[in-house]
Amino acid sequence: MAGLFGGSALAQARRALLSWLPFVAAIPLLWLVEQFLASQPDWEYAFQNINHIGIAIILAVSLNLVNGLTGQFSIGHAGFMAVGGYVSAVLLLRGPSEDPYRLFFILCIAAGAGAAALAGWLVGKPSLRLRGDYLAIVTLGFGEIIRVVIENTRLFGGAIGLSPIPRYADFTWIWTAAIATILISKRLRDSTHGRAFLSVREDEVAAEAMGVDTTGYKVRAFVISAAMAGIAGALSGAFEGNLSPQSFTFVRSFEVVAMVVLGGMGSITGSTIAAAVLTLLPEYLRALANLRMVIYSVALVLLMLLRPRGLLGTREVWDLFPWRREKKRAVAAAKAPELSEALIDVRRATIRFGGLTAVCEFSLTVKPRELVALIGPNGAGKTTVFNLLTGVYPPTEGTILVRGRDTRGLAPHDIAHLGLARTFQNIRLFRELTAFDNVRLGCHHLTRESMAASVRKGELAEVEESWITQRSEELLAVMGLFHRRDDLAKNLPYGEQRRLEIARALATDPKALLLDEPAAGTNQKEKAELMQLIRGIRDRFGVAVVLIEHDMKLVMGVSERILVLDHGVTIAQGLPREIQTNPKVIEAYLGEKYARAHAGQIAAGRVQP
Amino acid sequence: MAEFFQHIIDGISVGAIYALIALGYTMVYGVLKLINFAHGDVFMVGAMIGWYVARWTGESRDPSIPGALLITLASMAVCGCLGFVIERAAYRPLRNSPRLNSLITAIGVSFFLEYGGQYVFGPNPRVFTVLPRHPGVHLGPVSLGYVDIVTVIVSVALMIVLQRIVFHTKMGTAMRAVSFNSTVASLMGVNIDRVISFTFVLGSVLAAVAGILYASKYPSVQPLMGLMPGLKAFVAAVLGGIGNVPGAMLGGLVLGLAEQVVSGYLSSSWRDAVAFAILILVLLVRPTGLLGRGEAEKV
Repeated sequence: MAGLFGGSALAQARRALLSWLPFVAAIPLLWLVEQFLASQPDWEYAFQNINHIGIAIILAVSLNLVNGLTGQFSIGHAGFMAVGGYVSAVLLLRGPSEDPYRLFFILCIAAGAGAAALAGWLVGKPSLRLRGDYLAIVTLGFGEIIRVVIENTRLFGGAIGLSPIPRYADFTWIWTAAIATILISKRLRDSTHGRAFLSVREDEVAAEAMGVDTTGYKVRAFVISAAMAGIAGALSGAFEGNLSPQSFTFVRSFEVVAMVVLGGMGSITGSTIAAAVLTLLPEYLRALANLRMVIYSVALVLLMLLRPRGLLGTREVWDLFPWRREKKRAVAAAKAPELSEALIDVRRATIRFGGLTAVCEFSLTVKPRELVALIGPNGAGKTTVFNLLTGVYPPTEGTILVRGRDTRGLAPHDIAHLGLARTFQNIRLFRELTAFDNVRLGCHHLTRESMAASVRKGELAEVEESWITQRSEELLAVMGLFHRRDDLAKNLPYGEQRRLEIARALATDPKALLLDEPAAGTNQKEKAELMQLIRGIRDRFGVAVVLIEHDMKLVMGVSERILVLDHGVTIAQGLPREIQTNPKVIEAYLGEKYARAHAGQIAAGRVQP
Repeated sequence: MAEFFQHIIDGISVGAIYALIALGYTMVYGVLKLINFAHGDVFMVGAMIGWYVARWTGESRDPSIPGALLITLASMAVCGCLGFVIERAAYRPLRNSPRLNSLITAIGVSFFLEYGGQYVFGPNPRVFTVLPRHPGVHLGPVSLGYVDIVTVIVSVALMIVLQRIVFHTKMGTAMRAVSFNSTVASLMGVNIDRVISFTFVLGSVLAAVAGILYASKYPSVQPLMGLMPGLKAFVAAVLGGIGNVPGAMLGGLVLGLAEQVVSGYLSSSWRDAVAFAILILVLLVRPTGLLGRGEAEKV
């Protein structure tokens, strides 16, 4: 394997370097610009602004990773900036007085970034379990605590601040960092990890069901973003020559939030442009200095009312020019089926919500390639069974084995890894992502590339990425959705959304597919097609299918075995024919009185539920 | 020991004010699931209106009880209108959009009030006296300030009135219904728009009273005075269990006491960190707050 992917450390390093070559080559260019222009007095003021913009870009682009891509709302970014700034400043002040090659400075920046990342982890790890607005308050509170701590610590200069910090950070340093931030951010966004971030933003439950470790990804986004803010703080301190706690208040965090929101939540170029505009604006509004924050706030409210997704939305600047098209590919052959022990083995699982027993002593075994249907009146507990299987709820009693493994204590994404994929009764697509991205997300858990590899464009990352593209396009084609490849999921008609959900579930390479009312809201013709499709999926992908459905024609037509639930109790199971004439089933569906009145006909097999 | 009792008394007095503000947060969160960041600034506007009315009527030179009542009523009226307008103009159009958008809007409104206030009022604190001078009550070494006594009496009275409104009136029932499930409430014939407007007005009126009390305790008014008490009141609301009316009262008291004890025994410069430390602790240990009840998302 190592040979195939050029795994030796040297080759890895060469590849990484090559992919970053344009960037590395650009650094001397920045330095040249500085040598020629920055020393001239006319340009001094301009360069001060340009450097402020660079720092603002680092802050905005890094916050965009959390607020825009991952959909978490942090308003304590200034806190992480402060951590990075102060840690590096304290080191710089105690460091050697001469630092000709700036090696010690690099060390200080790294220490600042590390400290901020640690702070990000400490804050994020426990609090990212919270929902959006709670998280906002925790980050705000954390930012304030940092400020109070700094103000009360002698080491950090208390309320007066630290000075004089050696002014090592100039144009070259700041813009190198800014461009690196943008590139890292972009490469992360375009990788499978970036799609995992997006899936967290769109729908956490669905993301978990697709095998994305949502908490893990939130924490990662938070830590990376905090580290970048720490770098911004370190550079800011070494650029201004001083640090004071007053520059890291809630207002500072708010300015960064305003940049991200203005640019469009999730858009990297949007954040970059907004950072530049909002940094320059006050310089040109000096006459209105008193009204600056008033204008900011009114603009923000108006933006939310008129253009709630920001100026660019989730798009990038280049998305405004349509020139991206990829050639279509043919569908590859089917995979070989697998034969093994029971895929799913549920033993007397019971779940209670308070006093209500939603599912009682439910047992089910599903063998590979089997088609099983789960039917029953509304409220019988069918979807709850799916939620038990996929680990959304743990069973109160009983055990659930998936491929022989007890799923107790496993998170939904772990169970997805074991080979269970599902669709949802109330379609849960990642609505703001394209059909293609939805399916690509399903492949997420099959990849092995690390985040770092995505950033430096490792070979494995690229191989995997092209494989994901191919696999996803195949699946779209199988589901007859290829023409919808680049449409947003929310714009697809209902029937196609249902099919897209199946495609996404299949992308996780499941052993068993759980379909929750796939025919709901479709017409007779579509139902007939669906019947074919379900059989086709079983044959082509060799998966077992467990189906919840109300449409009896579909159930009887497609399933090999049927379980009937009523009020959480399994009242019957067997072949479709047996179920049709089972008096208990008819009673559950049609009522006791009717069943008794028509007992004769039922016995003769003339009444069907 | 006397010192300890002094801290407790100060804590109750501050806590009562936090509780009054927290009620506004909690009620709005109950019906809209929105953190109304601007609420702390409505509190500031309440104090500011009080200052203007006091100057206009000449009360600031010669405070009297009827005058204080007039000032409070005027500021309640203005803040009630302000709350109504904020909800109408900024929050209602966003009611069906993602919660993040409403939150950003709320922050925007908050900054608008703060810096708009700074533009109109000027950034410097101004002295504010509403209540006539009175030495207060001395119980041995412990002193009960006049303002503290009035604060506690007024707050308790208002909370009793609020309790009656929420649990014993038609509008209160409607509020609780909307908070439980707004779709179902509207199907049962509850006019959601009216209920939400009423909630905002009610919360803002309470904030106005809190603003007057706070300003006369410290005696000064300035445009950013709403920021910290606002955030702390929010912490109080979360501490008690957000969306829960008795919880907000309890949370306010607990927070006020904790803050006074810390600043009394440790250092007053750590006071602001206490609230946020409590908040983070609560969210980690019991995210639903002391009296709140959690609910799981339906899949």
